[in-house]
Amino acid sequence: MKVVGIFTWSVIQDAFHRKVFYVIVAFTVILIFLIPLLPSADVGVQMDLLREASLGLTSIMAFLLAVILASTIIPGEVKRRTIYNTLSKPVDRWQYYLGKYLGIMLVVTFTLILTFIVLVVFILAKFGMFNPGIAKALFTIFLEAAVLAAVAMIFSVYFSPLVCVVITLLVYVVGHVKGDFLYSAMTEAGNNIFLRGLAGASYYLMPNLERLNINETIAHGEKVFQVGAAELVLLAGMALAFAAIFLYIGGFLFSRRDL
Amino acid sequence: MQPVLHIEDLHKSYRTAWRKPRRCALNGLNLEVPKGSITGLLGPNGAGKTTTLKAIMGLIHTESGSIRVFGAEGISAEARMRIGFLPEQPYFDLYLTPRKLLGYYGRLAGLDAAEITSRVAHLLNLVGVEEEGDLPLDKFSRGMLQRTGFAQALISEPEFLILDEPSSGLDPLGKIQVRDLLMGLSAGGTTVLLSSHQLSEIEEVCDLVAIIDRGRNVASGSLLDLLRSREEVEIALISPPLTSLAQMPQSAVWMDEARTRLILNKEDVNQALKMLMQADAVIGEVKQRRMTLEEFFVSQVGAEEGSG
Repeated sequence: MKVVGIFTWSVIQDAFHRKVFYVIVAFTVILIFLIPLLPSADVGVQMDLLREASLGLTSIMAFLLAVILASTIIPGEVKRRTIYNTLSKPVDRWQYYLGKYLGIMLVVTFTLILTFIVLVVFILAKFGMFNPGIAKALFTIFLEAAVLAAVAMIFSVYFSPLVCVVITLLVYVVGHVKGDFLYSAMTEAGNNIFLRGLAGASYYLMPNLERLNINETIAHGEKVFQVGAAELVLLAGMALAFAAIFLYIGGFLFSRRDL
Repeated sequence: MQPVLHIEDLHKSYRTAWRKPRRCALNGLNLEVPKGSITGLLGPNGAGKTTTLKAIMGLIHTESGSIRVFGAEGISAEARMRIGFLPEQPYFDLYLTPRKLLGYYGRLAGLDAAEITSRVAHLLNLVGVEEEGDLPLDKFSRGMLQRTGFAQALISEPEFLILDEPSSGLDPLGKIQVRDLLMGLSAGGTTVLLSSHQLSEIEEVCDLVAIIDRGRNVASGSLLDLLRSREEVEIALISPPLTSLAQMPQSAVWMDEARTRLILNKEDVNQALKMLMQADAVIGEVKQRRMTLEEFFVSQVGAEEGSG
């Protein structure tokens, strides 16, 4: 695991030398500070609006960071040929692949912790309330980023960064809208058995990213639904299982790829 | 003695574009690198040199054939521990300094912190970038990057060094340093396989040569043997023959219009000398003519082009 750790650390170093990292984080933090200036931020709903909008922004930030890093690391190293120096050392390709992925997730974790601190301090300063509950939403944002980074890395083995970002964006959109649509198709009595089977298979095989979206619930203070530890463990299990499967597929493809 | 590297009947082809026929890069390549030797890999552009080196390092997958490194089939992480590799035109993350970069590769090579510190200091000095050791690489010239690349290849004190165009981008002084470095490493027991376009570099450094063309090894062996096998003799005349030389051996070729330099096969020397003396020529010097590597290279690759 030492070698994996070396690759993980190299991603963190690399990310902190990229302007895009600072731009995304700074943009998100500035927008969070600007939310109270929105015309719809009336007294009474200010708190909910701030939480909902800032969690939405944080989701986008985490998505962008995870997908941009995951889509550019392998193609970038192949294009610059730095990968030849690296893989000529006594390392296995899976160590490289896993290390880079873990590095991406550490960068995302770091930025989410930073956002959490900014949000908690901002809410405390503006409303005089300590609101650590938003950590639950940030945790599911992290889980979603973990799945999407693993998806982006699969495509980055063979495709350019732009193609990877576009494909991962498609997966993101389908992952968020597919739940209801596929569930209806699976349970609709009028559909034939083949269509119902296909919808069912897609429903269970594709990650339902909407399940990981608890932003609204958290933003409204969990008044209707409570997100308990068991729910979070279940979501973590689902996301990590998908991420592990995607990592295995990507790692296998990467081990077969000519460099 | 068991060779460090033994390649047998290696095949590799690439698809250059979607639905285009595959292009053959290696077509039954055979190659052997004996322990302790400096072997030069020569060939025209697209001959398969870099593909060969990448296949040895496991960076590409071949379709058939065998690569044995240190006696074992294929290349494992353990084997790479004993190998140093310098790719063609090495490139690095330019925000790093040479010291940090070598530290990173040292850690990947499994060295501990103390080993890395001493090894990095030694290598920076060896390749001549000691003073620039803490400057970011984006301030480096092409030649200095090449030197840094050389240092990363040596980080684990490899027994087997594989170099793709090691002198590329270096100034004349840098080339001399690389040559001396290779000689020193070889004297210390390191086996070297280097690919180069620079025939002079190969001629100065290598004791074995393999010429690759169209993915096949068209000639290989010791430099001395390869060039000696085509030995010819040159006869220099102080004054040219006064009468005609109709009976000169068939291999004889005049090298100048004044007919003062003659080249011919060594078997024909006695007959030619007899004829020249009969024609009142004054003989200045008779010397063995050894082919240059360039002549040999052109004769091998040119012959392949012709037959192809």
